[in-house]
Amino acid sequence: MLVQLKNISKWVNSGGQKTFLLKDVDLWVHEGDFISIMGPSGSGKSTLLHIIGMLDNFNEGEYTFLEEPVHTLKEKHRANLYKQYIGFVFQAYHLIDELTVKENLEMPLLYKKHSSSQRKSLVADMLDRFNIVGKKDLFPSQLSGGQQQLVGVARALIASPKLILADEPTGNLNSKQGEEIMEIFKELNKEGVTIIQVTHSEKNAGYGSRTINLLDGKIV
Amino acid sequence: MYTLYFKIAIRYLLKNKLYSIINILGLSVGVASFILIMVYVNYERSYDSFDGSEDVYRVYMDYKEGDTFVPGDAQTYNLTGPTIKNKFPEVLEQVRLYKFEEVVFTYNNKIFKEKDGALADPSYFDIFKYPLLKGDLNSILQEPNTIVLTQNLATKLFREENPIGKDIVAFSAGNKVLLRVTGIMNNVPKTTHMKTNFLISYATIHTWDTFEKQDREPNWNQNHFFTYFKVDKNTNIDALKSKIITWDFQGNFRERHNIEPIEDIHLYSNKPYEAEVNGSAVRVKFLTAIAIVILVLAWLNYINLSTTKSLERTKEVGIRKVAGAQRAQLGIQSVIESMILNFGAILLAICTSIFVLSIYNKTTGSELALTARTLKQLSPVIATVIFAILLVSLYPAWVLSSYSPSKALKGKIRASANGLHIRKGLIITQFIAAIVLIISTIVITKQINHLQNQPLGTSLHNSIAFSGELLTKKDEVLEQKYEVMKNEIMKLPYVTHVVTSKTFPGDDFGNLSSSVGITYPDGTEDDHNVNYSYEVNNPDYFEMMDMKFVAGGEFLSNTTGKNNQVVINEEMAQRMGISNPKEAIGQKIKFWNEEWNITGIVKNYHHFGLKTSVIPIIIRYSKVDNYMLVKFDTTITSASGYTQAITQIENVWKQTFPESTFDYTFLDKKFDAQYDDDRQFNKVFRAFTILAICIAALGLFGLTSYTCIQRKKEIGIRKVNGASIFKILKLLNIDFIKWIGIAFVIAIPIAWYAMNSWLENFAVKTTISWWVFVLAGIVTLVITLLTVSWQSFVAALQNPVKSLRTE
Repeated sequence: MLVQLKNISKWVNSGGQKTFLLKDVDLWVHEGDFISIMGPSGSGKSTLLHIIGMLDNFNEGEYTFLEEPVHTLKEKHRANLYKQYIGFVFQAYHLIDELTVKENLEMPLLYKKHSSSQRKSLVADMLDRFNIVGKKDLFPSQLSGGQQQLVGVARALIASPKLILADEPTGNLNSKQGEEIMEIFKELNKEGVTIIQVTHSEKNAGYGSRTINLLDGKIV
Repeated sequence: MYTLYFKIAIRYLLKNKLYSIINILGLSVGVASFILIMVYVNYERSYDSFDGSEDVYRVYMDYKEGDTFVPGDAQTYNLTGPTIKNKFPEVLEQVRLYKFEEVVFTYNNKIFKEKDGALADPSYFDIFKYPLLKGDLNSILQEPNTIVLTQNLATKLFREENPIGKDIVAFSAGNKVLLRVTGIMNNVPKTTHMKTNFLISYATIHTWDTFEKQDREPNWNQNHFFTYFKVDKNTNIDALKSKIITWDFQGNFRERHNIEPIEDIHLYSNKPYEAEVNGSAVRVKFLTAIAIVILVLAWLNYINLSTTKSLERTKEVGIRKVAGAQRAQLGIQSVIESMILNFGAILLAICTSIFVLSIYNKTTGSELALTARTLKQLSPVIATVIFAILLVSLYPAWVLSSYSPSKALKGKIRASANGLHIRKGLIITQFIAAIVLIISTIVITKQINHLQNQPLGTSLHNSIAFSGELLTKKDEVLEQKYEVMKNEIMKLPYVTHVVTSKTFPGDDFGNLSSSVGITYPDGTEDDHNVNYSYEVNNPDYFEMMDMKFVAGGEFLSNTTGKNNQVVINEEMAQRMGISNPKEAIGQKIKFWNEEWNITGIVKNYHHFGLKTSVIPIIIRYSKVDNYMLVKFDTTITSASGYTQAITQIENVWKQTFPESTFDYTFLDKKFDAQYDDDRQFNKVFRAFTILAICIAALGLFGLTSYTCIQRKKEIGIRKVNGASIFKILKLLNIDFIKWIGIAFVIAIPIAWYAMNSWLENFAVKTTISWWVFVLAGIVTLVITLLTVSWQSFVAALQNPVKSLRTE
């Protein structure tokens, strides 16, 4: 078992009233799964993904990641955990504007104490794999959206995570670029990487092995 | 990893050019101003520091005025030094200097007029550790009629020749002496109150006719000597000082000796008969204050801009956290960025300072320099600032990294209320500083104008003082020659008055006689107060100088040149207890064991400019030829007309005294020159005030551009809902106006206090009127609105569709 969520709830206080973003969510994710989370705007998809990715806290419930009880861990341990096992892909790519493609890929490795030669070979592998060797010295603003997302995926993969979390990865792309990215995810899943994606598109959800539907913070 | 930090920092700075330029410019202007002012301040404070100077003290005279002693004379008796050395064992060595106003040297038929020289005891080189380049240190200045020259003067007199053993002729007050050069000393630095070009052995006092018996014999009557002594390292100076103060050296209860460290003289001593006009500690303090204010302003600017700007980078911080960055790593990155910016700015500031100094030195002939020593002295201050900046750069990193990455990624972090308060505080502080500086500038300018427009009680226009050194021996016919020459000059068409006198208003202190002990007409003896007097040879001096009589009239002249008649000023009359001036006429006063008849009382006039109040003065009728004062009528209007007239007078002078030097000075210019320092202070102060305001304006500019961007959406929504451009301008500017208001209220007492203490230096003070504050407020408001409005205006003009679409 990779991810195990038990009765997860998250709420915000507005006007003295609890507004639930997530309510009593239970979710099991096995290694090798390809899960799509769907639902209308405001149903809590991104919140759920962020909680799985340990980018956000929750108010109630238990979260076990690879046998580690996340809800009892300190922030530093949690950071170490996701640093090691999780890669993120965002709708808005979230590349650092001041860094080149190569440097953007290298960045996560810097925070993981890889040696310089290791970093170089890993970056070179990724550039190769995604066919972006020619773009390595360009800045994000010089790339098309599809190319930027390609870099985003490459960056998520570079530290060989067990789990990829993708928040509407094709939301800003045209259909052709979107398809390319989804094909890549399919490939990765075949290679054994677990993937959880948030999506609005039935078609994209079709790439996954399982779909979870959210409505008003609850799994339906 | 660090290379990456550097890369990002540099790319970020290049990408945000406006922000980087404002930041680096503001900082470097601030640091450069600080360095420049501190170079000057350091220069002023470096006066009279030489090897061992911390153990050297100067002796001066305190005079009793009323019941208290006040510093009365920087010069002491010829017995002072030797007696102190004998009496107090902790005093290791003493030296006496008799400073010449001017000595004329001739060598190989060439004439050299030299100021800044003195008679000096052989112990001179024991106390002032200026290196002797040529000559024997053991025998230097021992023999009479020997002279030591500085290298500059030696080169001027002898060019390539070896000066040692050469004889030169020296003249002082028409008295000739032959001097042998026995030593060459290093040039004495400009940073000393006792400028020195040559030293004549003290023993020459006995062989040179320019000195009279009363100067030569050891006595407690004539104090014309600067006395310095060196003490043992372990001496308790306070104890020595009180011993010297209480020491009854001649049974004279009206005066006492006192001592001061030589290093303090330039900035803290302003006694009668100083060797030169000294600097001012107050001025130095004010400049130091403004230097610190500018530095702090620049720094606040930086903090304000960088913390505000850093909020833009929440997304980047979020990405980094997702990629696994820890808080410490984010902190380091932020610090590295500030470091690059700050070191860039400091480097730029140092280069600018060196450049500005080189231009300043070239144009003014000064020798201010940014030496390694100065840098070293400044480094703690700059280091503190940098350290503080680094701390500050940690702050945004700390705040940003405390948010959960999911929030940071959404970019939804708004300035916290706390941060907003801090920023408001910073801006208000900047406004306070700006308003204080503006008020000070206005008051200083007002004071200087006030000084220049004061009625002096005398008129110095169209008047010139001529003087010259006669290179022949004085004889009886000299006086006749003088009279003939005066008549000749009087015949020139545009000359209205020719007068000889000892001194004139605005002249140096040294030409006034001072004495203590006088008997007033009513018989009271005044042993407490110092009396100043000078001699004038012609009764029409008063008409020439436009000094008005309140009673009586000018003294009479006679052929003997002596009739013991005096004219006093109102201040003197008041001191004598005379309430009705008319009663004083014909009364007798007694001093120097002689009786003097008062023939008239003149209105008070400022003999020393307006920094000091009017002093009581006695003008005596006597033979004197120190200056020949000539007044022209108003037909001469051009500079060339004056040059022509002066040349004609010079011709008459040279006919009368073929062997002589010839000098002249315009009375009004000389009088005005007393305020040169203040005028320069004003200029410097104004320049740095403008700089400080520019820095503050830069900061405002950066901040507004940022708020405008942040409130773009709000502006768009308001416009869609019908707000006019004016309404939006008001919305964006109202905060700044509020802040100015607060700053104004706080600034007023600070400025008032500072300016009041500055004005303490002047006897005649301008008033700090209410309009000064109002004007400063308006100036600040206008500058602020100009800075802020341009950008607000651009923001207000934006098409709302555009700004809303980007959301």
